[in-house]
Amino acid sequence: MLIEKLKSIVGVEGWVDEPAVLESHLTEWRGAYRGKTPLMVVPRTTSEVSELVRACAAERTAIVPQGGNTGLCGGAIPDSSNTQILLSLARLNRIRSVSPDDYSLVAEAGCVLADVQSQAREINRLFALSLAAEGSCQIGGNISTNAGGTNVLRFGTAREQVLGLEVVLADGSIWDGIRSLRKDTAGYDLKQLFIGAEGTLGIITAASLRLFPLPRDLHTAIIAVASPGDAVALLSDLRSQLSDQIQAFELISDRALRFVMRHIAGVRAPFAENHPWYVLIEGSVPGGQKGFDTVLMNTMDRGLALNAIVAGSLREADEFWRLRHSISEAQKSEGASLKHDVSVPVGRIGDFIRSAESAVQKVLADARVVAFGHVGDGNVHFNISQPKSQSLEQFGGYAAALSDAVYSVTLAFNGSISAEHGIGKAKRELLRKVRGETELSLMRAVKQALDPANIMNPGKVL
Amino acid sequence: MEKILVGLKRVVDYNVRVRVKSDGSGVDTDGVKMSINPFDEIALEEALRIRERGEAKEVIVVSIGTSEAQQQLRTGLAMGADRAILVESTTAVDPLTSAKMFLKLIEKENPDLVILGKQAIDNDNIQTGQMLAALWGRPQATFASELVFDGNRAKVTREVDIGLETIEIDLPAVITADLRLNEPRYVKLPDIMKAKKKPLEQISAADLAVATVNALVESAYEPPQQRQKGIMVSDVPELVAALKDKGLV
Repeated sequence: MLIEKLKSIVGVEGWVDEPAVLESHLTEWRGAYRGKTPLMVVPRTTSEVSELVRACAAERTAIVPQGGNTGLCGGAIPDSSNTQILLSLARLNRIRSVSPDDYSLVAEAGCVLADVQSQAREINRLFALSLAAEGSCQIGGNISTNAGGTNVLRFGTAREQVLGLEVVLADGSIWDGIRSLRKDTAGYDLKQLFIGAEGTLGIITAASLRLFPLPRDLHTAIIAVASPGDAVALLSDLRSQLSDQIQAFELISDRALRFVMRHIAGVRAPFAENHPWYVLIEGSVPGGQKGFDTVLMNTMDRGLALNAIVAGSLREADEFWRLRHSISEAQKSEGASLKHDVSVPVGRIGDFIRSAESAVQKVLADARVVAFGHVGDGNVHFNISQPKSQSLEQFGGYAAALSDAVYSVTLAFNGSISAEHGIGKAKRELLRKVRGETELSLMRAVKQALDPANIMNPGKVL
Repeated sequence: MEKILVGLKRVVDYNVRVRVKSDGSGVDTDGVKMSINPFDEIALEEALRIRERGEAKEVIVVSIGTSEAQQQLRTGLAMGADRAILVESTTAVDPLTSAKMFLKLIEKENPDLVILGKQAIDNDNIQTGQMLAALWGRPQATFASELVFDGNRAKVTREVDIGLETIEIDLPAVITADLRLNEPRYVKLPDIMKAKKKPLEQISAADLAVATVNALVESAYEPPQQRQKGIMVSDVPELVAALKDKGLV
């Protein structure tokens, strides 16, 4: 009954139930989560989304929204009961309007992030959110998970890019909160509730997004440093020298770089010699290339940097970025990896990595730590690759103890167990452990108020 | 070999999406990333490798352009060139004038080899190297993808339409570099600093006393027509009908 009704709402081209086609929507790209669904609906308009939710609400049937399915915590995958309806936003992908003078644009949830970026570039503006999956992830998912990425240091997370939202609520009604105001203190700022809620409070169907002027004179370099602690000191120093014009500051361990050199075709080593750590930095500097070079040299003279290469062209800058963006892919070729997306106060990153590494080695001496991340905003991807000496099963036996070790150190440093990947299914238990009762009951109260029947992406986050 | 002369042109970066100024007077370069013409960078890399193999003693980089081209020359020095010459010209220089200016420098420097990029990616003329060889009265080997030296001769593998061609030429000569000749090195920061102390000589274009014939006059710039949106056809008859409709068959 319901299935037929849903099909009729979206029309023949708007639904899929063939297992072969559904496969890629029911499995996360790393393969960690698999689910089942009787039907995937692919609406084209907000009013179709509204009708779909209304129909599901009447039957108390759960809905799992999905964007580009590039998540890592199982947030966009239905459970295995084969009752939850999967709702893909992929066809809700129009740019509704572009306003250069307002420095904003309105995009529907299914727009691919890279397309939003290029739409902004068309009018000489920057859409600042940027992350490795930008070629396939969708803006609705980015907002629903409050995605971070490489530009957070200067421009903030997805939250800071959102000026307004259009959301289909749990009863099917549409909240039109598409505004482009920078100042608006009229009542509660409701959009903030839906940002990072992972679809558990409503389905984001469109967003008004903040744009920035395109940075001029952007310079890119790879700097070799002795330790993460030195990288932090370097960042601190450069931020003040460059009046905070640093857009990206990415830490890469030598092991991560060696994995990339080994497994990714068409890349080349930045330096002839190995260094323990590297930083990929991008900034726009008053005084152009000369100013940038001088400031960097200054840091080398004072021993903060061991060596540095500067991109002479945008092609070289792309090559540098490719090294950074290929780490996850390269790590796949080195066997299983346990991923921990954590954040700690920026100033303590050096101590954190040292402590976490020794805690991990106490559990498993051969564990290969691959640490990298957006040091500029305190986010460390503290991944552990399967030791060469162990089988997948053996390594699996250590997984829980290894993760416990990483998370305990994270909490000891006043950090967060989820910096930018979200909670999804993966970290629900963990969330209960790390947030106090007051905070958790507030979260439950919000959920109860907005989705009393618990049909919006149930089983995620809380 | 004693000296190799390498040309470096300052151009809009290869990865920049070029925009035409709204008044059609040229290409918008305001705030746009400028780089060494990629083929010139390959030419320089090759010259440096020749010197590093001990087959040449000095590499001189030359640019013709505004004083801003000093930036590209400094990058060339940071890559490893020994010294630089900027022929300062405030107006755009066409290939023939450019070749004549190079010839003046050749008369002064007496290089054993001149390596240029096979073309500059801004105007895509593919003429300067060929014109220079003719004016100089020396051999040319264009579109080089491999160079081997044997005393006073060079064996050059060239990329031609049907594949590869290998020729031998006497030095001094003009060689133009193709894409596959090498992959230019990354520039290290300490080398950028050292490059600041290397000599960069500035000559005004007027001092070279080259008779400029403005054979090329630029009248207007306009962007290429936007590609029309494709249509989906369901079968061959429909395709044929659509082609006929457009008058294409």
